[in-house]
Amino acid sequence: MTSPTSALEPWPETVEWRPVSRDLIWVELIGLASFMIFVFTGLGVFWALTGHWSFGLALAATVVMTVWRVTVIFRAVKAWGYAERDNDLLVRHGLLVRRLSIVPYARMQFVDVTAGPLERAFGLATVQLHTAAAASDAKIPGLPPAEASRLRDRLTALGEDRAEGL
Amino acid sequence: MTASLATEPRQRLHPLTPLLKGARALVVIIAALSWQTLGRVGVGWFAAMVVAALVAHVVLSVVSWYFTGYQVVGRELRIHEGLLIRRTRAIPLERLQTVEVVRPLLAQLTGLAELRLEVVGGGKTEAPLAFLTVEEARALRERLLVLAGKASAAAPAEVAEGEPMPVAHPERPIHAVTNRDLLISQVLTPQTLFMPFGVVFVVFQFATEATWSFIGIASTLTAMAGVLLQPVRRILADWNFRLASQDGSLRMRGGLLETRSQTVPLDRLQAITATWPLLWRRRRWLRLRPHVAGVATPTSGDEAGGGRLLPVGDPDTARLVLAEALPGVSLDAIPFTPPSRRARWLHPLAWRVLGAALTDQVVAHREGLLTRQVLVVPYARIQSVRVVRGPLQRRLGLATVYADTAGGPSAAARDRDVSEAWALAATLAERSRAARSVPAQG
Repeated sequence: MTSPTSALEPWPETVEWRPVSRDLIWVELIGLASFMIFVFTGLGVFWALTGHWSFGLALAATVVMTVWRVTVIFRAVKAWGYAERDNDLLVRHGLLVRRLSIVPYARMQFVDVTAGPLERAFGLATVQLHTAAAASDAKIPGLPPAEASRLRDRLTALGEDRAEGL
Repeated sequence: MTASLATEPRQRLHPLTPLLKGARALVVIIAALSWQTLGRVGVGWFAAMVVAALVAHVVLSVVSWYFTGYQVVGRELRIHEGLLIRRTRAIPLERLQTVEVVRPLLAQLTGLAELRLEVVGGGKTEAPLAFLTVEEARALRERLLVLAGKASAAAPAEVAEGEPMPVAHPERPIHAVTNRDLLISQVLTPQTLFMPFGVVFVVFQFATEATWSFIGIASTLTAMAGVLLQPVRRILADWNFRLASQDGSLRMRGGLLETRSQTVPLDRLQAITATWPLLWRRRRWLRLRPHVAGVATPTSGDEAGGGRLLPVGDPDTARLVLAEALPGVSLDAIPFTPPSRRARWLHPLAWRVLGAALTDQVVAHREGLLTRQVLVVPYARIQSVRVVRGPLQRRLGLATVYADTAGGPSAAARDRDVSEAWALAATLAERSRAARSVPAQG
């Protein structure tokens, strides 16, 4: 294989990374917000009832965490990427812990396409490729439905061509 | 049902499905409410609660039934489900391991059946279609198997797997473990070696202070027996252990109280772990453990059950056994290279032990300061390759490369230099592809 030139972009000449939809940021933000509303009201009610300073402290900490999380979501969505090579699918994600998965099409067992209510509102879907190994993680969130079904059809077609299973 | 392509309509499961699922849930509901609730609220309220839960469950089942459908598209089966979170699962029929028609009691009463599709991956039945009429289930099974190109293998789908055909070549014995070695090997475990100290401690306590009650002593002794259980169980399981080869599979036999015979087809062997426990090191003994896809191995590693290629043996025996399981691989000839020097700070003691290697057939890793372990994965068995870099690793310019196997652990080249890691990942992906395109590589 070619030798890597940059640690973040291995094999640049053979790989063309495709980003996921930016709308995923909104999906994640709304998901975070709906969770945080519960935490905030919970802490706020307890603070108002007991007046104990520790609840105020917890509230402040949660605010800081939320702000940090929001910035992370922006960058994390941009960190997702996938690439279809001739024989395998590459998926990379993660900010703190960066992960790159290389899954050969021939090893694919089945493909899941999921779309939660929030994802559907933004017209997004998640494609997940399963191999026989539980450790493989090849999940691509935030794909437009057309791209998701194109990817699913392509993956199953390639998997059949190179059928090998175990 | 015509075998038209792609345009085939989506089909629903049998309309009685929600009721059957409700009946199934009844037991769970009653168990969840428990006797305590019954005692507290009385029979009337209890019945009302059960009925309410049941009605809710049936309503949900009806909704889920309405949104569940399956269709055969070309050479794949698609299963749609979910109202809120919609999921479409596409199963290429080549990947089907077995298709089973299962009829639980309730289904038998109503003339329905459940179709279970086994796909390797995840370990559990991935795609149950419950419920269909028996004819539908049978027809769909035949059709799926035909499409999967396994029509000839349709019959054995219900027969227990792994049993060899009656007319087979005679087995060729490879190795037998002497019971003396087995006993010594299990005495040389921490559990057995520390047991006398425990016994002396208890006796001493009992003799000096008479404050110990009978219950106290009894429970201490039970705990000790529990500790000893594992070595004893291994002795019982591996008594008279014999390994033989027959028709491209390995047969392992052994057991004192119940004789166990296990057949591992060589093409299902995903990886092999060799373990050198600390206490065996003076005798240079080791243990070999196979990892087989589709056979549930307990997550506790080699603690409980699981297969053994070799419960205990010296390097020569291991070489012999390994030559049968993975021809051309030798444990001594694996050229392990240590992680990057910058990783010394992460593993000050184990740094010298950690290592990874690529040979012409396998990828291997070595780890464990006290209990040394070597994992060997043939290239052809690699399911996926991952490169993972944690925050500390990124600061130090390191990365860990994993080669995942089906049902076994992943071979991990820990804390390699980043550029080396990328090159390693590329090589692994390339070699696993090349190894796979050579057919019938055991």
